[in-house]
Amino acid sequence: MAAEPTRRTMIAAAAAGSLGLAGFLTGCKGIAALGPVPPVGADVVTLEHAISAEETMVAIYQAAVSQLGNTSITSGNGSDAQIVAAIRTEHVEHLRELRARLILPPRYAKTKPGANKHPAPPQLPADAKAVIAALAGYERSAAARLVGELVTAPAALAQLMASIAASESGHLVYLHQAGVA
Amino acid sequence: MTGKSAKVAALQTALAAEQAASYGYGVAGSHLTGSSFKVASTDCVLHERARDNLVKMITALGATPQPAAVAYRLPVSVRAADDAAKLAVDLELSVVSGYLSLVAVTDPALRRLAARAMQSATVRAARWGAPSQAFPGLATPH
Repeated sequence: MAAEPTRRTMIAAAAAGSLGLAGFLTGCKGIAALGPVPPVGADVVTLEHAISAEETMVAIYQAAVSQLGNTSITSGNGSDAQIVAAIRTEHVEHLRELRARLILPPRYAKTKPGANKHPAPPQLPADAKAVIAALAGYERSAAARLVGELVTAPAALAQLMASIAASESGHLVYLHQAGVA
Repeated sequence: MTGKSAKVAALQTALAAEQAASYGYGVAGSHLTGSSFKVASTDCVLHERARDNLVKMITALGATPQPAAVAYRLPVSVRAADDAAKLAVDLELSVVSGYLSLVAVTDPALRRLAARAMQSATVRAARWGAPSQAFPGLATPH
């Protein structure tokens, strides 16, 4: 006649069953089997938009610097290529500062569509003055987008975005000076 | 600090910057002639309007706007047109900084207003000869 289970053996059996069930559900794949990565927060999305926009600006300015290298006009403020190169440096600083605010675990970074892709710059006009005018248009759009998006950003990020938008608005003045040289 | 008191404090900071700019442009304008004088006059009026608007906003929140100082210690000793332009640059960059805390309040309309004021002041500073800045208004971007 089999002995009746004691309270201790019942608890041990229950624990073993729970562990077995957990192992079955996860397929022994560890934490990766717990489910998909939850969606990123709205503040991260705002920051990613700002980073993406700055990456585009840097790419546009890089193309403009290369294009103006041989055709630049010189004024009292320097050649238009020099002015454009100086503004490009500021966009690189914007990008560096925005990227520094984005801290994501590697798993998020890997799942982000388009991560680590360098945007292709849009085609710039052939004429140097038209290039400057096109850059001014991109600055205007970038600044307006930042002001539109900063209203929902966390306070510190909103301040950074406002400062970058102000910097981009200031660029219009320097581009105008380059364009009328 | 509550949302309302944070708003009032940020509006008072912006108001102080606009009051100082309104005073400073009066000094700068007295050393300018021709087109520079016209630009300074226009910029002065813009700051006076912004100042008056901020006074209304603070009052609407049930607070008392801080009065302007009788006189301000200017950061630039103005003796000629070049000094006046340097003063204008300094005033505008102070205005950019003055709106920074308003960008941090939770009210979207105030944030937008502050961000646009920062843009306008940066543009005016550039027109008065300020060198380009990557992060106007921020002492360090951290």
